[in-house]
Parts: sequence; C-alpha cells; structure tokens
Amino acid sequence: MSLNLLYSMREGIVGLKRARMASVITVSTIAITMTLLGLFLILTFNIQGIAQSFRNKMTFEVFIDNSLESTDIQLLEKNIIDLEGVEDVTFISKEEALERYRRDFENDPLEIVGYNPLPPSFQVKLKQDYRYPERAEDVVRKTEALEGVDKVVYHENLFRLVYRYSRIVILVDVALFLTVLLAAILLVANTLRLTILSQRKTIQIMELVGATEGFIRRPYLIQGMLQGGIGGGIGSFIVLIIVQGVSLRFPDFLRVTIPMLLFPLALGLALGFIGAAIGLGRFLKTA
Amino acid sequence: MIRLSDVWYMVGGNQILSEINIQVKAGEFVCIVGPSGAGKSTILRLVHMEMSPTRGQVIVADYDARTVHKHDIPLFRRKVGVVFQDFKLLEDRDVYENVAFALWATGVPRRRIKKRVFQVLAEVGLSHKRYAMIYELSGGEQQRVTIARALANEPYVLLADEPTGNLDPETTEEILGLLKRINGKGMAILMATHKEDLVRRLPASVVRIRQGRMVE
Repeated sequence: MSLNLLYSMREGIVGLKRARMASVITVSTIAITMTLLGLFLILTFNIQGIAQSFRNKMTFEVFIDNSLESTDIQLLEKNIIDLEGVEDVTFISKEEALERYRRDFENDPLEIVGYNPLPPSFQVKLKQDYRYPERAEDVVRKTEALEGVDKVVYHENLFRLVYRYSRIVILVDVALFLTVLLAAILLVANTLRLTILSQRKTIQIMELVGATEGFIRRPYLIQGMLQGGIGGGIGSFIVLIIVQGVSLRFPDFLRVTIPMLLFPLALGLALGFIGAAIGLGRFLKTA
Repeated sequence: MIRLSDVWYMVGGNQILSEINIQVKAGEFVCIVGPSGAGKSTILRLVHMEMSPTRGQVIVADYDARTVHKHDIPLFRRKVGVVFQDFKLLEDRDVYENVAFALWATGVPRRRIKKRVFQVLAEVGLSHKRYAMIYELSGGEQQRVTIARALANEPYVLLADEPTGNLDPETTEEILGLLKRINGKGMAILMATHKEDLVRRLPASVVRIRQGRMVE
C-alpha cells in the first residue's frame, strides 16, 4: 500500500474525530435514513410478493369433451402446452373433479343424479409475460379453437381486477420507495457536504501547498465511506432487530433474505462515497 | 524567476489591475507597497496562479499562467511558498503537524518529512515549540510556523501577503529579520505590504501600487 493511501486512510479516520459533532450528525442521519430504507425495501419486497402470488393464481380452466379417449386427451394437453404463453397444464380427471366438488360443496352429485356428470379438465397456468388481460384472452381464444375442447372458463372480470389492483399497488410502492431513496440520497449528500464544509480550511491549505486534487479528495471519500458504512451498519442492525421482533410475534409474516438485511449497510457505504464526492466536487469548484 | 508583463485583471467589467510590470530575479527581495484595496494581494494571487490575468503575461520559473495546465498547478505551487497575514494554520494540529502537512500533502516520504520539519523549525527558531498547539502560540510564533511551512518544500520563491499585518512592532521586527535571513540565503521574496516604513528597513526593490496601477 502506498504511503499516500496510508496517509489518506489515516486522515480519513482522524478526520472523523476532528469533526466529531458533524460526524455524529452525519452518521445519525445516515443510520435513520438507512433504517427507513431497509424497512421499506422489506415491505416493498413482501408487497410485491403478495401481488405476485395473486397474479400466479390467474389461471383458466379448459373442460374436455366427455367423449374424448385418453390418447386424444394427451394430444389435447400437448396442443395446449404448445400454445404461446402457456407455462403449465394440470390435468384434472373426472374422479378428481368429483372429489373437489364433494369437498367444496359438501354434497355428492352421484347421490343426486346417479352418475358422475363432471367432465375432465385442464387447469392452465400462463407464463409471467402473459398474465395480462389482453394477452391472456388471446390464449383463451386459441384454446377454445382446439379440437376436443368443450368449454373454457376464464374469469375475465376477476382477472382484470387482480391485474389492475396489483399493478396499482406495485406502482405506488415503487414510487414511494424511489421517493424515499431520492430523499435519502439528497439528505446524506447534503449532510456530508456540511461535514466537508466544516473542514474547508484544511482543504484550502492543501490547495495552497500544492496537494493534487486526488490527494485532497481521498481522505474525504474514505471519511464519507466510513460515515456511510457506520450509519448503514447501524441501520442494518436496527432492521434486523425490528424484523426479529415482528417474526417473533407473527411467524411467517415477513419474507426476509440476508441481502435485504445487508442493503442498508451497502447503500450507506455507496451513499457515503457518492455523497462525499458530490459535496467535495461542489466545494472544490468554489474553493 | 517571476515576470509580470503588461498585466491587466478585470472582474465583471471592473478594472482591478492595469499595466502591471514586475520582475523578480533569483535571490531578489521585491516589495509591493500600496494602500488597502490597491491590488497588491491580486498580484500575489496571479503569481500563485489562483487566477489568470485578463491580459498580459505572468511567468513564474517555467510556468506561464496562460498556458499552464490545471493538473500542473499543484506541482507549481510546491515550489512557491506562501505566507499570509491571517496565517492560515490548522488550529486542531500542533506545530510539527502544521509544517509536516505541506510535505504530506505533496507526497514526501515520512522519514524525509521528519528531518525536513526539524530543519525548517530550527531555521525559524521554533524547535522548542514543535509539539505546541497553534492556539498556544503568540502571533509572531504563528507567523513563523507559516514561514516554516512555506519553506518546507524548498521553494524557489516566497510570496508574503502582509506578513506583519497582524503583529505588534516588536514581533514585526522579528519577522522582518527572519525574512531578511531567508533572503540572505538566496531565496527570492515577493512581499506585499501597506506599511511604507517597513520597506525602508528592508534590502528590497519597491513597486508602488495605487488603484491597480503602478505609480513608480
């Protein structure tokens, strides 16, 4: 490691102590914003998951002509799978349909009509890109045209409703997340700028004695990353505690991964670096 | 060493300097004398290449203000020592660190830094106060730290902007004595001051400035 870099690192660390009050304010600001963002990310991820699970339920049923032989049924299944936009096809036999009916309606058609009137069917799941009303309807039309299909049951209104509301939820959530992220970036950049401004004299003297711009920048960038890292680390820790608290009370309520917990720390580090670079850039131009 | 030829400097239509011609040869002591606001500090800032002249030529050693590249300015400044009326010292560091700072900032190895700092502190008579904090020093001592810092990188010229402006008569004498000694060792000095009586006591050529123009 070069002496210059060692010096920059030492200055970066010592600088935190020199501008103690400004550093405490910056680290606290970053810790609070990163905690909020970390929680928001987990919330966003879970909301997206719920919206996605609703969309995953957007399937349609294809009732098969009762007279179809099993080889013809297999052929029809292959034809449906081959349709563009179909992800998966599940066969529901007459017996299985009867079982489901008994379970769902708590009565037995065999006792009422004396035979199993329920036709075999396929439950068709669409690919991710086709879970939109227009594209889904196109697949439904193509399925209806296939030989051996008796009827296609597609809950158009429900489909449209789920699509519309899940889209609104996702859009609002993403917009809110981006707004909070932008506010965090501006807040951190400005707070770091204040820290740098408090060390204006040091920077001016560095310029006077002939320090290169890179040499002047390095300690402040390291300082920014340290402040961002400490603030972000505190944010990650607080998020972990909150998540554990929620999970103890409501098990399986939140889905949380390690990258989500590390997000405040990583973002803090990045914001610390970027914020210091922006603050320094503005300052060096006016120094 | 330093040559200003027909230098003009304007800011937003206001004429700050006009027709300035100054030359400082190696080992020479030149004083720019004039009242406050006459443009003395502007001349020093032009020589330090903090800004470019609107017209004319500012040449310091091999560097021409009109053609010098932005990236070369830090290298240039390492060879031009500067001393200010308000010292511009780092209050949160001790004497040693303030002088060493100029060497650290220019990438001098640690072993050489220690040796050089002790050398320049001895030169300005502050060896015994090397670990004192800046706020513990008198005005004269603070100015001597500034001079030590300016000398640390072995510059070929020393720019002094009102170096005795904040000092009492006795301390002023001390600093003038120090500057004379430094000049006696062969270093060129370009000093700006508003004190007429001061320059009479110096072995210096005098350039008089009034309202941005040379009067003598």
